[in-house]
Amino acid sequence: MSNKTDYHQFIDNEEGWVDRRIFWEEEIYEQELKQIFAKSWQFIAHDSMIPNANDFYTTYMGEDGVIGARQKDGSVRVFLNSCPHRGNKFCFADEGNTRSFICNYHGWSFGIDGKLGALANEHVYDEGDIDKEKWSPRQARVETYKGLIFATFDQDAPSLDEWLGDFRWYLDMMFDNDGETEFINGGIKSYANSNWKFGVENFIGDAYHALWNHDSGLKAMNNGEGFGPAVQDGSFHASVNGHGWEFGTDGYADVIIGGSEKWKNYVRDIIKPKIKDKYGELRSNIFGSLASVSLFPNISFLPGIQTFRVWLPRGPKKLELRIFTVVNKNMPEEIKQEINNACMMTFNPAGVLEMDDGENWEGNTQVNKGYLTRQEKLHYGCGITREIEHEELPGIIYKGQFNDANQRHFYTRWADLMNADSWDDVPTRYKPRHTTTK
Amino acid sequence: MTNSTEQSVTPASMELTFEVQQFLYKEARLLDTEEFHAWLDTLTEDIHYWMPYRYQYYRKNQTEPTVNDMAYYNDDMHNLKRRVLRNDTGTCWSEDPATRASHVISNIEVEHTANPDEYKVYSLTTVNRNMNEDEEHLMVGHRTDILRRVDGQLKLAKRKIILDQNIFMNKSLNVFL
Repeated sequence: MSNKTDYHQFIDNEEGWVDRRIFWEEEIYEQELKQIFAKSWQFIAHDSMIPNANDFYTTYMGEDGVIGARQKDGSVRVFLNSCPHRGNKFCFADEGNTRSFICNYHGWSFGIDGKLGALANEHVYDEGDIDKEKWSPRQARVETYKGLIFATFDQDAPSLDEWLGDFRWYLDMMFDNDGETEFINGGIKSYANSNWKFGVENFIGDAYHALWNHDSGLKAMNNGEGFGPAVQDGSFHASVNGHGWEFGTDGYADVIIGGSEKWKNYVRDIIKPKIKDKYGELRSNIFGSLASVSLFPNISFLPGIQTFRVWLPRGPKKLELRIFTVVNKNMPEEIKQEINNACMMTFNPAGVLEMDDGENWEGNTQVNKGYLTRQEKLHYGCGITREIEHEELPGIIYKGQFNDANQRHFYTRWADLMNADSWDDVPTRYKPRHTTTK
Repeated sequence: MTNSTEQSVTPASMELTFEVQQFLYKEARLLDTEEFHAWLDTLTEDIHYWMPYRYQYYRKNQTEPTVNDMAYYNDDMHNLKRRVLRNDTGTCWSEDPATRASHVISNIEVEHTANPDEYKVYSLTTVNRNMNEDEEHLMVGHRTDILRRVDGQLKLAKRKIILDQNIFMNKSLNVFL
């Protein structure tokens, strides 16, 4: 224990800084794969991406390739996409429908349940050479939240409900505002030469950058009109277990970024009244306001714009971004397409806002080539004394959405997990109101 | 819609093929030199500029993308003008200094269609993008266009671009293909 790295040394929430080496060093990244990605609940797919038996979608948990597959009984299994014989991936398709996967190398086959089945030329194996149950790919734990399928390879991890905790109070207004959600068919995948955390921390709390960095993007979408001045009254940061939601209560700023009158009217006439009935006035004001969200460790979305994305780590200096669009199942097709087009125009590698973000995050990352540069700290002190208690809002609450609070709490959770030998070492840093924790 | 069968098998003349080539080369130059307003003028008002998402599927699962799926571009004139407006705002920080791009257009084939004023044109676009200090990005896309003759001038009415890349291997698609 004595020579173990204490990862809290890389962040300081009193002085408000983060050490740049966490965005660059290989050893820290390897520890992230082990301590963050091999432990955390991660997004695999939306139910609507694999609706039928034998549907599958391939993705990554950390750098571990996995397959998420719909079973005949309707459940989902998630297992490593690596043949236990010599290790090759046994599925190279992004998605599809199949009864089995067959490894190209020697012809070992795997059922949709991930279990090892027939081997090509199986007679070359003698009785007792192989126990197929034992030599099947490792299976993850799978749980779902309102259509979102999550998995973890850590058998000791808390339940998904505990993992999300009181953040469900916020999530409900996105994923259960008017019945079930679905994803638009297809997805966009892209690389950026950025550390994965820069994407996550941008969405977790960085309303600040939007006003300056996305001025041209908003003007493009909003008839030449940019953002108004930063409003700190009635806007907040909320953090739960490293997840973060920054938001205003103005009602429509994010919806306006999408540039669709029809979608804006639908939010006003359908979505907001439903949220008000179901969850009360405050949340009906929050939905659609200037806001952005990340779920620890690497999921983000924008309520009101409806982009949903995962930041997959590809080494400390590169990420793979996977982008989807969330709509409600019961929306008219026309509204679904208004949202789909709005997401395409704004948050996509060709989007008029996203094009500026990638530039920033690559720059943030690549400057750390400089030995001296990466010894410098990064400032995370905005709004450091602004923590409040709020009668309605659960989680750790800060006043003013122009704030680094959610980012600070993200990195605190990061350090908590990086240090932890077991889940007993991971503190619950907020006071749950709606969740019973272990 | 006159005599479409006969027209569809009539090969494009050298003169038409040459005219189409010159149209596409000029378009490439306008994009390389960032003359985006002049480029918009080469499009019909009902332009559909489409670059659908791309996944890799098993051959047995292969499907064609539809306009209702995720896409990089699925633009009408209104949306293309928005993209051009972004560059005009003066606050488009990531394009200052400017991106340098070269479009190489090749493999051009011209076909008549059922509409005597419209031609189907296949081409390959190879775009080399260089930006910032030393970032280089190569994109190769298969284009299927509909060119329409309007008042004697060729204009682009439809474009579908299928990129070779499965994962788009760069941070941004900041050039038209």
